[in-house]
Amino acid sequence: MSQTEVLIHVDGLKKSFGDHEVLKGIDVEISKGEVIAIIGPSGCGKSTFLRSLNLLEEPTAGRVLFEGTDITDESVNIDTMREKIGMVFQQFNLFPNMTIRENIMLAPVQRGKLDKEQAKQKADQLLARIGLSDKADSYPAQLSGGQKQRVAIARALAMNPDVMLFDEPTSALDPEMVGEVLTLMQELAAEGMTMVVVTHEMGFAREVASRVLFINDGTIQEDEKPEELFANPKNERLKDFLSKVL
Amino acid sequence: MRKQRKKQWILEIVILLLLVAIAGGIIAYKQEAANKQQEKAAKNTITKVDDLAGKRIGVQIGTTGDIYATDYAEENKGTSVERFNKGGDAIQALKIGKIDCVIIDEQPAKAFQEKNNELKILKEEFANEEYAVCLAKGNTELKAKIDSALEDMQEDGTMKKITDYYIGENAGKDPYVPDKNNKGSAGTLSMATNAEFPPYEYFDQGKVIGIDADMMQAVCDKLGMKLDIQNMEFDSIITAVTSGKVDVGAAGMTVTEDRLKNVDFSITYTNAKQVIIVRDHSVSAQKQSFKDSFYNNFIKDHRYQYLVTGFGHTVIITFFAIVIGIVLGLLIALIRTNYDRNGSLPLLNAICKIYLTVMRGTPAVVQLMIIYYVLLSSVQNKLLVAIIGFGLNSAAYVAEVFRSGIMSVDHGQFEAGRSLGLSYSQTMRHIIIPQAFKNILPALGNEFIVLIKETSISGYIGFMDLTKGGDIIRSITYEAYMPLLAVALMYLITVMVLTAGVNRLEKKLREQER
Repeated sequence: MSQTEVLIHVDGLKKSFGDHEVLKGIDVEISKGEVIAIIGPSGCGKSTFLRSLNLLEEPTAGRVLFEGTDITDESVNIDTMREKIGMVFQQFNLFPNMTIRENIMLAPVQRGKLDKEQAKQKADQLLARIGLSDKADSYPAQLSGGQKQRVAIARALAMNPDVMLFDEPTSALDPEMVGEVLTLMQELAAEGMTMVVVTHEMGFAREVASRVLFINDGTIQEDEKPEELFANPKNERLKDFLSKVL
Repeated sequence: MRKQRKKQWILEIVILLLLVAIAGGIIAYKQEAANKQQEKAAKNTITKVDDLAGKRIGVQIGTTGDIYATDYAEENKGTSVERFNKGGDAIQALKIGKIDCVIIDEQPAKAFQEKNNELKILKEEFANEEYAVCLAKGNTELKAKIDSALEDMQEDGTMKKITDYYIGENAGKDPYVPDKNNKGSAGTLSMATNAEFPPYEYFDQGKVIGIDADMMQAVCDKLGMKLDIQNMEFDSIITAVTSGKVDVGAAGMTVTEDRLKNVDFSITYTNAKQVIIVRDHSVSAQKQSFKDSFYNNFIKDHRYQYLVTGFGHTVIITFFAIVIGIVLGLLIALIRTNYDRNGSLPLLNAICKIYLTVMRGTPAVVQLMIIYYVLLSSVQNKLLVAIIGFGLNSAAYVAEVFRSGIMSVDHGQFEAGRSLGLSYSQTMRHIIIPQAFKNILPALGNEFIVLIKETSISGYIGFMDLTKGGDIIRSITYEAYMPLLAVALMYLITVMVLTAGVNRLEKKLREQER
């Protein structure tokens, strides 16, 4: 597959909450295999932008094309589109009433992707991969934060998504658990998974991302390769931001 | 852990037994005190009708005794009328000195007096009157048939034979035998009555018998119809006839002007008197041992069966009302939360809101009667009506419990489900509702405990639930303590079993999360 195949095309995206305009017109293209890090000060709209990509936030204006389909169109079955867009949350959001294995099996079985036996095999493969095979029959409350987030990633992967969205995946973790989650994400990137990651981990953005977006005040103010963006920030706000976080 | 739980159970049972013992002690003490008070209040000053002024008169609600006593009280200041649902309740109140006399029809008065020899009937009657069968207004065809059957019975002596079986020297000797050739080919005649009015109608070994019951059987035999007797409160009989729930009412009913506004009456079938019952202080109340009282209330004539049948009905009503409550309540909660979150289905949401307002804003007993007499007036099956009534009522409360449960689940759970591609309903079913259910289990258990006890109002539509079963025993034995205590104990044990079940379920569900 060619490196230039466009997976997500965002066109004039705007989002308001009441009178407050959070996204003021965003245009961007994301190609297959890219790993995009989104950075910016808190409240700048980066999470809202990410959540618009799978319509957890409904845009006030503009379009989001996923693999050529406008997902903001009401006639499009959003559930089918979301099957191909995995998402990982800051607060993990594992289902506390199910075992770890059941958490992973639920969506593939309910969406008719796999039968129960296949889903169980898939879940066990994924758990082996993230090194948590012994936790298959545990409940989420019995896991550490880092383990929970790895399971959340495995749960999203079980649907074989074409892209993975990460919404500050390490922000709720104790410092010593951040590493295990970033390592797993790095492995995914290395395998060629398309990823969009809202993060405060500048190290991850610099080393793993293929592109970094700096969002401020509801617009993309800088869109560069990491080495360029971190070494040569052009935007004044970005310089100010980097001086505070680095 | 296991042992500790067992210990707690034992503790609970010990406390319960202690409470029962204390209650029993209080009751015994009260009974003793009541006896003493009765002796003290020995100076009964009512010996003739004129003495009633300024006294407390007990009557059965809706009877002619009630009508006369009310008129009398209006003319004589200071006289109060206490209205009871049953004649038997008035008699009990009289026995313990809560009222000074009871005005009631002569024959029931005699029956009451026979079983309570510390009471006496004044020689001077309060009023004379005639009994007739009531029918829906304009039902002239049936009225003509019943009138002619009653005329025949007066002429051929059937009426006298029936009356003699219940009243007088030859009572109990020559019963009326239903016509075996009557196959009911001309249809069914349903009759409303209030079987707490011996000898006209009362319960005997689970069946309604009495002069009115036999008389209507004889009428049906003449018309070739099948008789279906339905027991209900006396003041419900006319409503039941006008709403078409039943064809006729026969319950020692006197023709009055007010009643004629709502129903038509047949020709009169017997003459009766309203008499005054007072305490007779020359005779002291006979004392019953606990064993005798127990035998009399539960063992004799298999009277415990009223409690067993009533308990069965209470359990059936509660079970199905819970099922309706959960299904309908969940549906309403889903519609309401869906509207709150997405603004969808505004019309359905508005309907649900109105439903909740009405159901939670009116008493269950009123709802039950509206459903029975108005909305489902053509439905004869009282069990079904009770299940529907309590189910609809419970659903309103369960809906709000479920809604609070759904709201209590973190929104991130919902987003996680949807982001995996699950639809709204799949997310609700597999993720939100199971968690919500666990959160609301204590509140839900509470609602069902309230529901079990709420079903005790089934008697208002004449359905025999546990409470009504105890009431029937009370109306036969004229003893309050034993039947009421037994009924209370049965409710208590049922609620304890249910509570234990809910607690176990709760523990089981909680264990997963640790």
